[in-house]
Amino acid sequence: MLENPTYNKYENMSDLELVKLSLENKENFYYLIKRYELKIFHYIRRLTNVSQEEREDILQDIFIKVYRNLNGFNPNLKFSSWIYRIAHNEIINHYHKNKSRLKAFSLNLDNNDVYHLDELISDTDDIFNYLITHENADKIREVLAKLPNKYREILMLRYLEEKKYDEISDILCKPPGTVATLINRAKSKFKKIAKHHNLMVNHD
Amino acid sequence: MTDIGKNVLQKIKKEKIQPFSKKHFFLKKSFIWTLFGLSILLGIIASSVTIFQLKHTDWELYDRSNYSLFEFLAMAIPYFWLIFLMIFIGIAYNYFRRTEKGYRYNTLLIITISVIVSIIGGIGVYQTGFSEKLEAVFQENIPVYRMINRGRHRMWMSPEQGFLAGEIKEINSAQEIELIDLHGNNWIIDISNAFWRGRLRSEVGLEIKIIGKIKVEGQFVANEIRPLHGRLRRGRGRRLRSNRWNETP
Repeated sequence: MLENPTYNKYENMSDLELVKLSLENKENFYYLIKRYELKIFHYIRRLTNVSQEEREDILQDIFIKVYRNLNGFNPNLKFSSWIYRIAHNEIINHYHKNKSRLKAFSLNLDNNDVYHLDELISDTDDIFNYLITHENADKIREVLAKLPNKYREILMLRYLEEKKYDEISDILCKPPGTVATLINRAKSKFKKIAKHHNLMVNHD
Repeated sequence: MTDIGKNVLQKIKKEKIQPFSKKHFFLKKSFIWTLFGLSILLGIIASSVTIFQLKHTDWELYDRSNYSLFEFLAMAIPYFWLIFLMIFIGIAYNYFRRTEKGYRYNTLLIITISVIVSIIGGIGVYQTGFSEKLEAVFQENIPVYRMINRGRHRMWMSPEQGFLAGEIKEINSAQEIELIDLHGNNWIIDISNAFWRGRLRSEVGLEIKIIGKIKVEGQFVANEIRPLHGRLRRGRGRRLRSNRWNETP
């Protein structure tokens, strides 16, 4: 389906247009799924430690929920924020349903994720310059794993999902001011944990 | 990774999953806004009775009483309505956060605006006299409320300090009435030189507060007489018989 000309036609459409088309014909929902499946898949992976199979189940549940709620999508909101919000809630629901055997918000970052956190460096203290290097990927994971969930998720959204403050506000349903505060606190907590566990390394 | 899109579409078709209708979302939004509005309205009412009770606290008697400022304030604060006000503001905040864009606003801002709206609305409702009527209904019908409110009249249960309150039981003459106090004790009140506040006149069943002094055991000389609750509220004979001040909820 991805390679055919029909897909290319849908590829250029806006999210809102695809939402409208999906409501007219459920087959069109496929193109909306294709647009977001990888992003949401990685989001789930970063926040859970479930198996690939279970991750796909969560992803499927998310898209079913999105489909059910298509009429409730507010066009004033970015569709991506809306779908991430549903994903965020669904991950939490999934965690509550399977509490005994799962660990939501546990860390599941691949090396690529860790390297992408280098944006975290650019607007903050030098400590991150020491930490975020290819050699230190494990240390980064270690520090992130020690962060409280609320801080970890917000850092993921900001630096791995590359969301703006307003988008994070829409995803987590928190005021933008609170998002900014949380990000700052998350950074300083990150720094504190790194220092406390002697995770800083020298460049030399 | 399996073709999630295909799987999702198969599930949608197999289980005949349909998107919720626009009406469903409209009703959901309306329900949230209605509950928010209702909470604000109830907060306004709670605020209006709070204002009524504060306004009818005898602040000027603080100097004449032997109570410390803390004790006096502890008696004067209308806890019952303040707690209700806080509960309704909390509920209103909760529902506002659930509205489409409610989460974007700062908690402090939402609560501050809710409090301001409740106070302004409360002043408006107080001026209509509704708060006084509502307070009377609670006083009349809810024993727990009477018990909580009794603390507010504690000052008026100290005849040795010159403060007495209760319900007129009998009018013996233009100079003398019989009163059953808040503890259920009987008093003969000398009203010959008493100043009656406002348009208050002696009447059986009327609940009053008296400033004066003890003459002898069971007799009190009144200097000033005020209505017990707000302006004019008459008690009923049946309440005298039930000795309602001593009842427990």
